[in-house]
Amino acid sequence: MSHAGTIDHHHDATTATGIPNKKLFMWAFLASDCMFFGALISTHLIYRLHPPPGSPSPRQIFSIELTSFSTFILLMSSLLMALAVNAIQKNYLTSTRHNLLGTIFFGLIFLGCQVYEFTHFVHEKGLTLSNSLFGSTFYTLTGTHGCHVAIGVLWLILTYIRSFKPAGADAGRPWLAGAFFHFFIFALTIVAGMATVLSGVHAHLAREPFREFISHNLLAVGTTIVGLAILTYLGRSRGAVEFGEANAIDVESMGLYWHFVDIVWIVIFTAVYLLEYL
Amino acid sequence: MDATTATPVVEANSAHSKFHTFVQIAMVLSVITGIEIVLVYLPFAKWLIVSALVVLSAVKFLFVIFYFMHLRWDKVFCTILFFIGLVLAIGTVAALLALFGSEASTPLTSQISHLGFFANV
Repeated sequence: MSHAGTIDHHHDATTATGIPNKKLFMWAFLASDCMFFGALISTHLIYRLHPPPGSPSPRQIFSIELTSFSTFILLMSSLLMALAVNAIQKNYLTSTRHNLLGTIFFGLIFLGCQVYEFTHFVHEKGLTLSNSLFGSTFYTLTGTHGCHVAIGVLWLILTYIRSFKPAGADAGRPWLAGAFFHFFIFALTIVAGMATVLSGVHAHLAREPFREFISHNLLAVGTTIVGLAILTYLGRSRGAVEFGEANAIDVESMGLYWHFVDIVWIVIFTAVYLLEYL
Repeated sequence: MDATTATPVVEANSAHSKFHTFVQIAMVLSVITGIEIVLVYLPFAKWLIVSALVVLSAVKFLFVIFYFMHLRWDKVFCTILFFIGLVLAIGTVAALLALFGSEASTPLTSQISHLGFFANV
């Protein structure tokens, strides 16, 4: 671990604006994304203010407990992301990796909650994308936000894998093949893990015995355990790597995107969920 | 303390303080979220609760962009750039709500909602 701290992470003398180009691009993109979400939020609110006859009652559909939990999880993921940026700016690679993994984990919990929420709304509350205007605007808005979270998780995973690229120019194809394998295992473990957790929740609600749950979901549970073991093995330190303080701007750009997803949810949580309870 | 030892100590203190700042902000954000959730069940006037929710959300929003997103430490141009998009977005939302809120623009299929906040706007 080195204590470089010699790079000015907030200014770049080589650009006309004094701001690193990647950061400038990200802020410009986020400014445009504000307008995108502004349009989706206003569409939802307009149709909530003027609902057509037969509109469902959101208060009887929403679960404030689940949504509050999701909000808390996303806030904590933002904290871990900020800590990851802080760590890489100090060239603390291990700490950066741990915080990135934590952010990925919390992002996946948020997505899992959203998958559970949507499944619950469709199958038990009868709210689909096309059977009411409320359903259309609600799923479009929260689904678009969920897509942003999913893209953020993908970006986090790719950055995490990239942090293992060995130092030196001879990394080449062997490393690329290894990185693909690492990503494949990540994706497989996430899908299997989510299937296991969601099946576990349904089994718990249906009061299914643990042994029956395991026997019904043997493939998903087994894949999750094996996948986690392989990821632990692949996540060990393997000597000098290319990734370091010079890549802080990459992590920071990703962090900006992740925090933006969080602030959009802050607005959605209030405008779409909490106002329904008044 | 000589110059060679002063720099690492200052850096370590800076890293330490930033870490604590982030953790403290996350705790504040969690508490505000908790207050928001409790607030909707309190028997106060709706306009008061709605105003409080808007203010609390804005506080959370500003904390995240200025601390977690480093706007506080970055060049002011980043703030201006982001706020151009943000102001346009807020203006669009306000304009659309005002436009559809006027009597002449009410959709023909609309009915008066009897559900909470949206019934009295």
